[in-house]
Amino acid sequence: MATEPRIYPSKRFRFEIKDNLWKWIFLLPAVAIILILLAVPVVWTLYAAFTDLHLYRIGDFETEFVGLANFEKLMSNRSFWRTARNTVVFMLGVVPAQLIIGLTVALALNNITRGQKLFRTWFLMPLMVSPVVVSFIVGRMLFQEDIGPINDILRNLGFDGVPWLTSPTWAMVALMAIDVWQWSSFMILMLLAALQGVPPDLHEAARVDGANQLQSFWRITVPLIMPITMTALLIRIIDAFKVVEIIMVLTGGGPGQATESVTLAIYRTGVKGGDLAFGSSQAYFLLIVLMIFGGAYLVLTRRAMGKD
Amino acid sequence: MGLNAQKRLRSTISYCILILWSFILLFPMYWVGITSFKNAIDMSIKATYLPFVDFQPGLHAWRYLFVDRLTWFLDPFMNSVIVAFVSSTIALIIGSSAGYALARFDYGGRNNSIVLGFMSQRMFPGALFILAFLVMFRELGLLDTRLSLIIVYSSGAIPFIVWVMRDFFEGLPVEIEESAMIDGANRLGVLFRIAMPLAAPGLVAVFVLSLIGAWNEYLVALTLTFREAITIPLFMTMQVSQTGYTEWWNMSAISLVSVIPVVAAGMALEKYITGGLTFGALKG
Repeated sequence: MATEPRIYPSKRFRFEIKDNLWKWIFLLPAVAIILILLAVPVVWTLYAAFTDLHLYRIGDFETEFVGLANFEKLMSNRSFWRTARNTVVFMLGVVPAQLIIGLTVALALNNITRGQKLFRTWFLMPLMVSPVVVSFIVGRMLFQEDIGPINDILRNLGFDGVPWLTSPTWAMVALMAIDVWQWSSFMILMLLAALQGVPPDLHEAARVDGANQLQSFWRITVPLIMPITMTALLIRIIDAFKVVEIIMVLTGGGPGQATESVTLAIYRTGVKGGDLAFGSSQAYFLLIVLMIFGGAYLVLTRRAMGKD
Repeated sequence: MGLNAQKRLRSTISYCILILWSFILLFPMYWVGITSFKNAIDMSIKATYLPFVDFQPGLHAWRYLFVDRLTWFLDPFMNSVIVAFVSSTIALIIGSSAGYALARFDYGGRNNSIVLGFMSQRMFPGALFILAFLVMFRELGLLDTRLSLIIVYSSGAIPFIVWVMRDFFEGLPVEIEESAMIDGANRLGVLFRIAMPLAAPGLVAVFVLSLIGAWNEYLVALTLTFREAITIPLFMTMQVSQTGYTEWWNMSAISLVSVIPVVAAGMALEKYITGGLTFGALKG
């Protein structure tokens, strides 16, 4: 589909003038809404990052431009860098785990014929569950230190119970486990779609030519599923950098600041603390990081679309 | 080892992997399920796993939710229903019209770029929006209203609806639409009488997905609402901060009520939903 020249039927009609009107009526509401609700916050936040805007002082005081002061504060703010580090650690923990689980389960799914639809349907489940329910209800019950089932099972197996929510390291592990539980399904479904796009006769031909299965996997499957895999990874990286909800409700960023993510820090400074200016500078820092990965994502997507 | 034996071994390993992962996905949900039938005593001494074996299940959490405290739960539940349905309907109409337009009209050869513009929304952090929205909706006097959530959620769903529906409409034959137009129908008629009905599976998928997105959203709801317009996820977390300790059986019952409808809808429409979920990477 991508390589065929696209024919726009409107060119073939005599009603072109009237049709030209509909062309804009259909498109413009969507463009207008996105421009207002996307561009206005983006521009406003940039403005706020250069001022001393404070939620509780709006209207009472003149807002002053402070130049780069917020960004200077950001650079030397140890608490902020702590949250930046936490976010990167979280991302580096969950994304590879999701890739490995995603690939393993997708390969298994691609291998079977009976029951494939049943498993595929069941694997959708975690994607539909609210992060609040997963993290707050499920997470807090399962990781409960005294009588939670995970520690209970560990103890029955002869291990010590793990201080899930009171140790900084284990609290991060618990959060990662929740994210992996919820989002591996996304990788599974993406990679399954990619695997199903690999023509089976290629493997057949390779086998006839004497390639073993491992060679056939590395030389044929991997290159062919690479574009979709990269896109799926970029989407997961972007989402992992934005993580906040599961943290808010499982650990609240604690113990101490051990699991606070950048987004949670922005919420805490900007919304709870009312320091819109400093919060905005943090948000811009996050945006710039995300734009690197988002840019790569858009390039890949553009390539998948083919020519206009 | 013969080829057949090798095949059998591979499929046995595959089933083991699939069953193991299915079990990992099931366990937390099973736990919520049984907890909603537990009494306080079943959760204070040791972990209990099996109803009737480890503990005697009771219906008190469900009675508490549906009889004693129904009115108290009903408000956030209705807020969630109204916000999710209204925002998804608005997003569906606006987003699918734009998707149709981008599939059928030529915008100076820039159609793909326009779609990518919509898609770029994905990289903007929610943290950036909550600050701006907080001030915007405060100035408009819309804090703690369902309207504020409806506005935010519909704009949040439009980009992916545009993307999915454009693909969907491109896959439909143009000939039917052409002959209808030669017979004197205008574009609006073509869109609503011909294209939309043919695209019904895609429309259902994007509608349900945006419904689920709005139903589960937490960060924006937490920022913009606090009493009258709170949705279920917010309501759940507020219960604990108010009482200081958690009545897990009641919380589990509430969770199930909020989770089951969307999970059931999503799984029932699996065929259509998977295409919509993987949007941004796969065609159709």
